[in-house]
Amino acid sequence: MNLQAIKAIYVYEMSRMRRTLLQSIVSPVLSTSLYFVVFGTAIGARIETVEGIHYGSFIVPGLIMLTLLQNSISNASFGIYFPKFVGTIYEVLSAPVNFLEIVIGYAGAAATKSIILGLIILATAHLFVPLHIEHPVLMVFFLVLTAVTFSLFGFIIGIWADNFEKLQLIPMLIVTPLVFLGGSFYSIEMLPETWQTVTLFNPVLYLVSGFRWSFFGQSDVSVHVSLIMIGVFLLACMSIVWWMFKTGYKLRT
Amino acid sequence: MQNAISVQQLTKTYDSGLTALHSVDLDIHDGEILALLGPNGAGKTTLISIICGLVRPTSGNVLVQGHDIQTDYKTTRSLIGLVPQELHVETFESVWNTVTFSRGLFGKKPNPALVESLLKDLSLWDKKDAKIMTLSGGMKRRVMIAKALSHEPKILFLDEPTAGVDVELRKDMWQLIGRLRQSGVTIILTTHYIEEAEEIADRVGVINKGRLVLIEEKNELMRKLGKKQLTLELHQALQTLPEGLSQYDLSLVDGGATLVYSYDTQAARSGIGSLLADLNRSGIAVKDLSTKQSSLEDIFVSLVEGAR
Repeated sequence: MNLQAIKAIYVYEMSRMRRTLLQSIVSPVLSTSLYFVVFGTAIGARIETVEGIHYGSFIVPGLIMLTLLQNSISNASFGIYFPKFVGTIYEVLSAPVNFLEIVIGYAGAAATKSIILGLIILATAHLFVPLHIEHPVLMVFFLVLTAVTFSLFGFIIGIWADNFEKLQLIPMLIVTPLVFLGGSFYSIEMLPETWQTVTLFNPVLYLVSGFRWSFFGQSDVSVHVSLIMIGVFLLACMSIVWWMFKTGYKLRT
Repeated sequence: MQNAISVQQLTKTYDSGLTALHSVDLDIHDGEILALLGPNGAGKTTLISIICGLVRPTSGNVLVQGHDIQTDYKTTRSLIGLVPQELHVETFESVWNTVTFSRGLFGKKPNPALVESLLKDLSLWDKKDAKIMTLSGGMKRRVMIAKALSHEPKILFLDEPTAGVDVELRKDMWQLIGRLRQSGVTIILTTHYIEEAEEIADRVGVINKGRLVLIEEKNELMRKLGKKQLTLELHQALQTLPEGLSQYDLSLVDGGATLVYSYDTQAARSGIGSLLADLNRSGIAVKDLSTKQSSLEDIFVSLVEGAR
């Protein structure tokens, strides 16, 4: 294992976060606060409680997941796309590193950033609504697992994309709708029965549901199913990344 | 002498169907400076890219200090430093960070003293905290060299290191290459400048259309090129060479109207003076004369043209 290389990539990627502190931290916090104002105040005035939980508190896990997913994907995809775009990727490809080391470095740094961000948003939420976390250890576990999984997913997008439009395509076209329709801001029990069934095919539902369970001890789907679904998605992403390096997909001709 | 790199029957066909290398065999000796010459698209960069791990070979093998570049890539890549042709730099990073990153990426423990001496060697020390985008093209080129040297490679590839570089920096670069060679680093450089190969290389290889068409010691090559020809146009065509001129390396061409004298420029005396005197004595009148020396460039051009 080339630990020095993992460290070098990780530190280098994290230093980019420090350089772009404003975009990396301030803007997600600001947009989350806006969600609170719009959803919590405007809608919350009409819906007092969901499943016995104050609506403002109810949306906190969903909001954190929304940010976590979007930022894991954008951090990781940009992190690997940028060297490809400016050409500095040659150095990584000519270095004595294997795919695992590259992925740990890049996706690890992206996941770290979104975990930090998730925690900042949790703290921000605390300013708006009362919060009590039922299972703090599992909450952190979900946070980490989701951040890692979607950083891998972002890494895949970053390698696949060969222009900036493609880099935005999947997050805009697929991920954001899935998050909004995955029960981030409502319980699926509030939907008509047909739509409840449709929603069960949305992988984000399992993330949000499991994460919400760690806060309130109750959820739309069982926490075990949630964990299994995240595990499956994690494995799928890892297999794709492994295949990409094995075949040199869009990296080596 | 042990080979730093041994290329065996290396072939590369891209997905587009273009065959960039046709079973190339090449041994690069330990500690030498090898200059690879060739026109654009000859396959120089493909060859380098395969050895460094950027491009996969279609068939054939490459051994770096006896290690296979595919099965033992971690060993071979840690031995090699690469300065690619294009200026690929992290525009927003500082010089110091980017060089430190390169060292770590190649699995070496941080060594600020080494990075410092590298930057000083390359006259980059006062720019160590500058963002790379603020540097000039020549400075960026030096940053790339610093990155390639940061992990103390045993073999250094320089893909057109002096393309678009001013004369002063080119001289600096040559000096640096000389110092690296002193420290035992094997250097392979590609270049368009024949003059550059003449100046610094131990051996010269010419690649054209994916084939290695020539590889020779530079001195040997220069000796061959050291031959010069004096062409004498005569007033009256000669049937045979006069007896008295047999000591000269002469030949009659153009049906006897032109006399060609070959001589060695490295020799103490060219013999031109005495030849002219002897011709005069034999009553042979010379209408005009010219001399011609074939340069590395001529050989290069004839090899490349011949293959067309």
